[in-house]
Amino acid sequence: MAESTQMDVETATGGTVPLPPKPTFKPLKAHEMSDGKVQFRKISVPPNRYSPLKKAWLDIYTPIYDQMKVDIRMNLKARKVELKTRADTPDISNLQKSADFVHAFMLGFDIPDAISLLRMDELYVESFEIKDVKTLKGEHLSRAIGRLSGKGGKTKFAIENSTKTRIVIADTRIHILGAFSNIKVARGSLCSLIMGSPAGKVYSKLRSVSARLNE
Amino acid sequence: MATVKYSGIEALEKLKSTEPPVFLAPSSISEVARAVSQYLFTKLKPHDPKSQLDQLWVDGFDTEQIWQQIDMQSQHLLPSLRQEVNRFVKNPEEIRKLANLALKVSHEDDVDEMDMDGFDSDEDNELESNDSEAEDEEEDDEEEEEEDDDGEEEEEEEEEEKDGDNEGIEDKFFKIKELEEFLEEGEAQEYGIDYKNKKGVAKRKNQNLSDDEDEEDDEDEDEDDEFDAFAGGDDEEADKLGRARYDDFFGGKKKETKMKLKDLSEDEEAERENQGNEKLSTHEKARLKLQSKIEQMEKANLDPKHWTMQGEITAAKRPMNSALEVDLDFEHNARPAPVITEEVTASLEDLIKSRIIEARFDDVQRAPSLPTKGKREAKELDDSKSKKGLAEVYEAEYVQKANPAFAPTTLSDELKKEASMLFKKLCLKLDALSHFHFTPKPVIEEMSIQNVPAIAMEEVAPVAVSDAAMLAPEEIFSGKGDIKDESELTQEERKRRRAKKKRKFKAESANEPAKKARDTSAENP
Repeated sequence: MAESTQMDVETATGGTVPLPPKPTFKPLKAHEMSDGKVQFRKISVPPNRYSPLKKAWLDIYTPIYDQMKVDIRMNLKARKVELKTRADTPDISNLQKSADFVHAFMLGFDIPDAISLLRMDELYVESFEIKDVKTLKGEHLSRAIGRLSGKGGKTKFAIENSTKTRIVIADTRIHILGAFSNIKVARGSLCSLIMGSPAGKVYSKLRSVSARLNE
Repeated sequence: MATVKYSGIEALEKLKSTEPPVFLAPSSISEVARAVSQYLFTKLKPHDPKSQLDQLWVDGFDTEQIWQQIDMQSQHLLPSLRQEVNRFVKNPEEIRKLANLALKVSHEDDVDEMDMDGFDSDEDNELESNDSEAEDEEEDDEEEEEEDDDGEEEEEEEEEEKDGDNEGIEDKFFKIKELEEFLEEGEAQEYGIDYKNKKGVAKRKNQNLSDDEDEEDDEDEDEDDEFDAFAGGDDEEADKLGRARYDDFFGGKKKETKMKLKDLSEDEEAERENQGNEKLSTHEKARLKLQSKIEQMEKANLDPKHWTMQGEITAAKRPMNSALEVDLDFEHNARPAPVITEEVTASLEDLIKSRIIEARFDDVQRAPSLPTKGKREAKELDDSKSKKGLAEVYEAEYVQKANPAFAPTTLSDELKKEASMLFKKLCLKLDALSHFHFTPKPVIEEMSIQNVPAIAMEEVAPVAVSDAAMLAPEEIFSGKGDIKDESELTQEERKRRRAKKKRKFKAESANEPAKKARDTSAENP
């Protein structure tokens, strides 16, 4: 075999084919993501939220369908709210936001408060139980819950207003909706209330903390 | 004038015999005088070493010229004459010898004879005693002199001893004794004291002056005596120094000084005794006092000091309980406690009473704090359910951050605004009532539509009274058709109105259920 010792070198002068231009792609639509398959979200409805859902269905449906451009339907048999991306869903996060919104409603938040989830990115929902903070049983537990809400809910409202959060106390579960730092402050005051500090003390602390928060 | 030529001697005799007043008047004595001077001149010429004139030229010469010649001769003679006189002063004995010689030579030597007469009577004794000793002239002389004063014999012996000691220095040319004598002679000549008879003279002086009690002389005599004493002491010391050993010297130094002091004191006592027990002069007394004082002080300085003057002292170094006796001075930093007496208490009580009556109590008053800024708006914790949803809250916050101008006013601002508006309205009304100080209506720039005429004319009547801003009837009520009051309605018309009302109400309630459902859901979480 006759092998040429010389290498084949391509001359760069002239004759070279110009490289193709860099391709520009548009961002993928939600629809096209995951290889064009449709994405679903299913949120189960607890029994106590069934009738409120029925009442507020239109308030839920309208912003999701019109503004988020996500399909929504209620699966009565499975007692679930189903969300589906459409072809013209602009962003994949819309689906998630809608799911979060519906989920917040299911936890117990009001529609105007939950709508903020749709509008702002930085809002989160944090949930914890009373027993996570302190093991309380029987009457202590009841008293703790009473301390948390206060007379006519004023303690809860005070915390909500000062920290710009929304709080839902569902028996032994507590849900807080708001920005991260605000959630932290609200959680701190709630924990101190669970631990047993009087409301006045919590108020004073709230005042100082909220002033700092609002700076 | 008859010029009788006399011979020299005869002329001299004649000159001697004339009365002194004759010399004053010009007379024949001048010839005689000239002759005499001539004679003397020729006699003295051999003694003159530098004689230039053979004789004294007198004839036809002026007195001045004659005198010049004599002067010339005498100038040459004077130094030798002086020496001779000094020699005679030292050695009067030589005058005698000379006198003997002179007597043998000529009888007419008047000058020597006169002197010799004076000395013969005094020194006959001395000459006789000194005939045996002729070799050492100095010793002879000194012994002659010192036989008058016994005290000087010791000195003489010591001087001889001294000569023996100083063999190394002296030789046949140089003798220290001679040197000393020479110095003493010089001093004696200068001060006019006969040095050999110094002591005798001094003592005679003492006797003379003690009667007068002259202080200055006393001082002089004291000085002289001390001088003598030192001289004697020095001589003694000089002997001892030559043979001194260390112990003698240093051990004996005290003795020597003591001896010196003793000598001094002895001399002083001696002179006091010599004074013949006279009472002390004031100066003497003062001096004695001063000296005793000085002695005392010196003694005190030498002794160890009293313990109070020794600086830092421990208890061991001072006698026991000595600090109690001494008046010590301490610096007390604390004020001493006040002594409570009846007067003090009475004064205090009076003060208290007066104060109570005046009601002037010195109560502590709170210091006025500085005027601080206005209290910051404490954000009240709103413990009622917030009317805004969370979204609106965040929206408001965002708007305030981004565009403060468009931010909706907070509750406090609104309240403030409302309050200020109310107050302004009140002020306006009050001003209108009074009307003395007319203030026009405050111009509030509002975008809202107001029922204001296009042209606002200034009217005489005040704003409160005038109807310029009133609405036209059509603007108040724009209704069509027949307007009837309730009392004017017929039954059918009433029924018609009621039915219309019901329909309206139903239509409204159909829209409301959604809202109401929402509210209930919110209330029951």
